[in-house]
Amino acid sequence: MKKLIALLLILTMALSLVACANLDTGGIAVCLASEPDTLDPALNSAVDGATLIAHLFSGLAKWAQDDSGKLVIVPDAAEELVKPVENADGTVTYTYTLRDGLKWSDGKDVTANDFEFAWKRAASEELGADYGYMFEVVDGYNEGNLNVQALDAKTLQVTLYNPVAYWDELLAFPTYFPVREDVVANESWATNPKTYVSNGAYTMTGWKHNSVIVLDKNKNYVDADKVTMDRIRFYLSDDSNNMVANFKNGTWQLIDDVPTNEMATLKAEYPDEYKVAGQIGTYYVCWNINEDILPAELGLTGVEAEAARAEIRNAITLLFDRNYIVNDIAQGGQVPASSFVAMGMTNPDGTEFYKTAGHNDGFIGFYNVDASAVESNYNQALEVLKKYYNFDEATGKFTNFPSMTYLYNTSEGHKAIGEYLQAQLAAVGITMNMENQEWATFLQTRKNGDYSIARNGWVADYNDPICFLDMWTTASGNNDVQFGKGNHVDVACYNLDLTDLGYDIKVENGTWAETYDVLIKTIKNCTDNNVRYELMHRAEDLLMSTGCICPIYYYTDTYMISKNVHGFFSNPLGYKYFMYCTIDG
Amino acid sequence: MNSKTAFYILKRILLAILTVWIVITVTFFVMHAVPGGPFLSEKAITPSAQAALEAKYGLDKPLLVQYGTYLKDIVTKFDFGPSLKQRGRMVIDIIADGMKTSVKLGVIAAVIAGIFGIVLGAVAALRRNKLIDKIIMVITTAFVSMPSFIMGSLLLVFFAISLHVLPANGAAKGGLVLPIITLSLYPMAYITRLTRSSMLDVLGQDYIRTAKAKGVSNMKIIFGHALKNSLIPVITYFGPMLAYIVTGSLVVEKIFAVPGIGRAFVKSITDRDYPMVMGTTIVLAVLIVIMNLVSDIMYKIVDPRINLE
Repeated sequence: MKKLIALLLILTMALSLVACANLDTGGIAVCLASEPDTLDPALNSAVDGATLIAHLFSGLAKWAQDDSGKLVIVPDAAEELVKPVENADGTVTYTYTLRDGLKWSDGKDVTANDFEFAWKRAASEELGADYGYMFEVVDGYNEGNLNVQALDAKTLQVTLYNPVAYWDELLAFPTYFPVREDVVANESWATNPKTYVSNGAYTMTGWKHNSVIVLDKNKNYVDADKVTMDRIRFYLSDDSNNMVANFKNGTWQLIDDVPTNEMATLKAEYPDEYKVAGQIGTYYVCWNINEDILPAELGLTGVEAEAARAEIRNAITLLFDRNYIVNDIAQGGQVPASSFVAMGMTNPDGTEFYKTAGHNDGFIGFYNVDASAVESNYNQALEVLKKYYNFDEATGKFTNFPSMTYLYNTSEGHKAIGEYLQAQLAAVGITMNMENQEWATFLQTRKNGDYSIARNGWVADYNDPICFLDMWTTASGNNDVQFGKGNHVDVACYNLDLTDLGYDIKVENGTWAETYDVLIKTIKNCTDNNVRYELMHRAEDLLMSTGCICPIYYYTDTYMISKNVHGFFSNPLGYKYFMYCTIDG
Repeated sequence: MNSKTAFYILKRILLAILTVWIVITVTFFVMHAVPGGPFLSEKAITPSAQAALEAKYGLDKPLLVQYGTYLKDIVTKFDFGPSLKQRGRMVIDIIADGMKTSVKLGVIAAVIAGIFGIVLGAVAALRRNKLIDKIIMVITTAFVSMPSFIMGSLLLVFFAISLHVLPANGAAKGGLVLPIITLSLYPMAYITRLTRSSMLDVLGQDYIRTAKAKGVSNMKIIFGHALKNSLIPVITYFGPMLAYIVTGSLVVEKIFAVPGIGRAFVKSITDRDYPMVMGTTIVLAVLIVIMNLVSDIMYKIVDPRINLE
């Protein structure tokens, strides 16, 4: 026994002595999330990973703050963000010149070939990157051969199918960052600081897996003199309570998550440190379009049945008080949503897209989310539902609404919102059961359409409404509503008239594929930005007319940052920038 | 060691291998039967990209073929394969990384629990019904009944935020102190109670009375006879304690952001990272099987009367 204990003690001491470099001091310490799945710019699809990559790599363009503090896209590796040249076939070509003196962190020159290689790699099916489709605007994407080439070491030429309003923003997106062929030939290059060669403001100098990633300023970076923060330590944790503990005791200067049940306290306790930033995303509830919610005795079929269901779903949307959800349940400063395309997207004239959605006078969006409208919304919903269901005036409840099930992924926050929706429906006699599933099972179930109503959410990848709209085409992998699938494939009840915009497209009583899919294709090929935005508004109108999308709120990004930190900014996609930070004291 | 014992150990080892094989087989097929897959994400990739990935990792082959390949790689090459989520990392490296911390955490917690538990238990038994016994009993009752996530959170708030003497982050210098304390309190309290009652039992035995009557010194009675015999139930607790420390570390690792195997295990399941699920399951299964074996053999060493058959 004694020997065993002695042996155990020796083992323990030996393990404690496993040496580790001193990664725990210097610079700024932040915590965004747990260990990123990957830090390969092409493979990453997470916001925290993108923040790290934005510090490590330099693409043709980058996000920056101008003198007034406004966020802008500026050239980074490119000398300038050039205007496109139109080709005879409608495609457009951009020719970029790289700046002088661009170096990889191992001292080699950054060339246009590195960009060409990186883009083709990221878009390739063999790599199977989540964000491979970010290159779908580039000519040749559909044929599996991107039309991008390095004309010489400093000149990169790329051709797009048609002009893309958000092209410069794509250039600042991590998937578009360069990587070097000889570096990524080693499949595990992005998991070890020794093999991690980057070209941005920082180099990776330490990675203790699941603990901390350390970035140190890259002396080879062409704008190194503007970078004020010498070191950034990204601590890796997924527990928001632990984050708060480390923030409170001053160990970490920024944390990107706070527990919902502590939000109110933290906001009161740390008014200067508690921040709520906009994020381009919408939390919503989606219906399975093939779920029959009509009472059997009504005897409606086909187009009439679908029209009735759409009206019913839109009415149910009106039963929920989004201000209550935001203020009393979610508590993260979210904004009640009245449209699907999230707040933060802008029209060509600079106005906000969501403010011009729904084309209504008197309120913003597809229905009025003002606190004062709760009662009138409620009454309006009842009037519509009474047309289809038996209503017992004595109890104030419907008696023949088929019961439904609400599917959500296991989380206290989603559950609380689901329970609120359930209570609102129960108040009018509609039974909605709750079913929670673990994340991956939930994703599969929702994708397969094996649900009646489900919790959903979408966060934009770039500042263009199309990323909220093209997910609802029949063939899209994100078409959870099952538009144009199952029974809905033959339902011909949609109209599309684009003749006033100069298109020869007019469909009456068409199917989803004949209308919505055509509309999205038209948007993708449209070269006039004003027309394009008008088309996108029409796509959202068509989408919302189905009632299958019930927006709840626009996401926000809640984080805490120490008062002593200056020069910090974050972009609408949620990436956080520390390179220009300074810390007092 | 006589031939009987050797035969017993050999039999147990073969049985252990069988157990691990059953665990591998059941896990493999159950894991694939669960809905969802490693390349499923909120933002869907194209079907052709998904097919390319599945082909790359051999997931397009029939399940039985995949199972055969997996077993063969494990047995012949000790190859757990690459992680499907943490692209570019091998499962064995991820496990080794996590185990480094988890083993440290678990072993120290077990040693502390054992030493303090036995000492406190013996003291309580020898000072039965005195103040010190009562204090020990009250404290251990509290520790046994308090779940580790509450204990962990309390320690975190007190030592890391209010007093600011220990880090809240498990990866920092000294960061393992709080997780180790949290993890060791429950087994320590349990061992204390076990030792106390077993010691009281032993102290009432005839042979102790005989020793006393023969004038053997108190120290010799306690350390030479009583303590050794009263440890038998404690040793049987060794297996369950390990199971507690393994499962308890899942919670503790989360509370203190400790980079251990527990978090990797939980994440691998959510991610449907098949090779990671298999790898962590196998490692934990082997660990528990070995510890149970060790526990049984120690049992025999402490009490030769026990017939292993």
